[in-house]
Amino acid sequence: MNVGFIGLGLMGRPMALHLEKAGHALHLWARRPESLAPFAAVNAKTHATPAQVAAHAEVVIVMVADAPDVENVCLGKDGLAAGGKPGLIVVDMSTINPNAARTIGQRLAEKGIEFVDAPVSGGETGAINAALTVMVGGTPAAFEKVTPLLEKMGKSVTLIGDSGAGQVAKACNQILTGVGVLAVAEAFNFAAKSGVDPAKVREALLGGFAYSKILENHGQRMLDRNFKPGFKAWMHQKDLRIVMEEAHRLGLMLPSAAATAQVFNAIVGSGMGENDSISALMLLEKMSSPE
Amino acid sequence: MRLGFIGFGAMGRPMAEHLLRAGHELLVWSRRPVSAEFLLAQGATWCDSPAAVAGASEVVCTNVTGSADVEALAGELAQGFSIGSIHLDFSTIAPGAARRIAAAYARRGVDFVDAPVSGGSGGAQAATLSIMWGGKSTLATRLQPLFEVLGKTIVRIGEVGAGQVAKACNQMVMVAAIEACAEAARLAEAAGVDFAKVRTAMLGGSAGSRVLDVFGGRMAARDFKAGVEARLHHKDYALLMDEATRIGAALPASAAVWQQLNALMAQGWGRDDTSSLLRVLEAGTELDPAQ
Repeated sequence: MNVGFIGLGLMGRPMALHLEKAGHALHLWARRPESLAPFAAVNAKTHATPAQVAAHAEVVIVMVADAPDVENVCLGKDGLAAGGKPGLIVVDMSTINPNAARTIGQRLAEKGIEFVDAPVSGGETGAINAALTVMVGGTPAAFEKVTPLLEKMGKSVTLIGDSGAGQVAKACNQILTGVGVLAVAEAFNFAAKSGVDPAKVREALLGGFAYSKILENHGQRMLDRNFKPGFKAWMHQKDLRIVMEEAHRLGLMLPSAAATAQVFNAIVGSGMGENDSISALMLLEKMSSPE
Repeated sequence: MRLGFIGFGAMGRPMAEHLLRAGHELLVWSRRPVSAEFLLAQGATWCDSPAAVAGASEVVCTNVTGSADVEALAGELAQGFSIGSIHLDFSTIAPGAARRIAAAYARRGVDFVDAPVSGGSGGAQAATLSIMWGGKSTLATRLQPLFEVLGKTIVRIGEVGAGQVAKACNQMVMVAAIEACAEAARLAEAAGVDFAKVRTAMLGGSAGSRVLDVFGGRMAARDFKAGVEARLHHKDYALLMDEATRIGAALPASAAVWQQLNALMAQGWGRDDTSSLLRVLEAGTELDPAQ
């Protein structure tokens, strides 16, 4: 299949390469030409604009930073809408506001282009190992058509519901992981400040109802004091901003997520935004020790 | 002075009237012309567009709802302004929006001043507003006489955008205090104690405050009709929490208050007074565990 791919960053690059390896012809555009270097030796054609990518592809995958970027790629000057033929499917795998996804979808629909939101969980490691969790919002027909592509990049691909539903699922994911990481960091800091070994606490808790993957994996990295990303704190901050914007719009009370978002503000504000989001532990340690 | 004025809501109406009565020549435009009629009857001059207002005025005052409204209006005013004119905006908007508008005007030699106010429609009517403004210090001599017609406390906070930062601080402190009053009222009533008496006692002590007096009074009287429509405070929280995310500042108490405001909106009390935060606490205790 002719597949367009826009957004060849840490996540997008390995994802696109998985598609090429599976035999698909890639059509690429990148804001920064150096992003295209890893594709020089493979079956990939470079284009001057997103519109040209759209003109050559049946499906275009977008993996960029935030809603304004998605909007720009889709609807901006020389965007996908300017070149896509009716029937084109645009699959946005970025994490953006659900409501923004619905709006972009409606505007593409006016051109006969179908929009599917398919944000992922699993980070860079998941992208490299083709082991991402993909949460999809869109029509069943479009889902059926793009599933073979998504399965080359992910291990678990689920149709959640209509347009925007994938982003809602991703927002839920970020509530659980954000609050979860902070809860583990609080527990470990509590143990350590009480003179108790957090490693022993973790070991014991893994066998009980407090078990979680976050306690297991993130908890281990906290014990190893390995703050290299994984998933960068500023990205978690951004995702929690999306959650809180939607809570504001819908009139939802999210007290834990709201408190957690403030801790992520403090992490980023204290210059740890490029670290893994488990840096929440360092922040708590700093806040609970005299200078 | 030849003054333009646009935006005749609960705040703008009395403010425009004060300026007219102070002997200024007033040029007005409104999307709904009927809303400006009361001023025409007092000698103001009607203009057919914002650009026409800008073309005939030394200073144009605006008082509208959100960042988008002010940005759109600024775009139209810019068509009419001559070099050296001032756009004086009293609206509460995002500090970043104020800076953007100022930068766009600067290219045309026009000054933008953000001058949000505190004091409500009562303060606007009594000309006792607190005015916190951001803009070039050299503009003070031209603007101070206008401010003095409208308010009692006038402070230049700093460069453009600084007035909006001050307003955000004002809203945080004020609404958090309203929430604290609501929680005190809730505790008193749940303990079977008369909050009106509690309030009277507190007003004489260290916890005495303007908010306890005014909003606490409304809670004691169970008078939730708007003084300040809660939806406007809710709107302000979206601005200030977004700013906190942008600059990486942790605001844990504000985040918690924001969630109570979200719940207030969900209850449909957005057009009631913000003292309805008491009703949010009561609603949370009326859940029937049997259902």
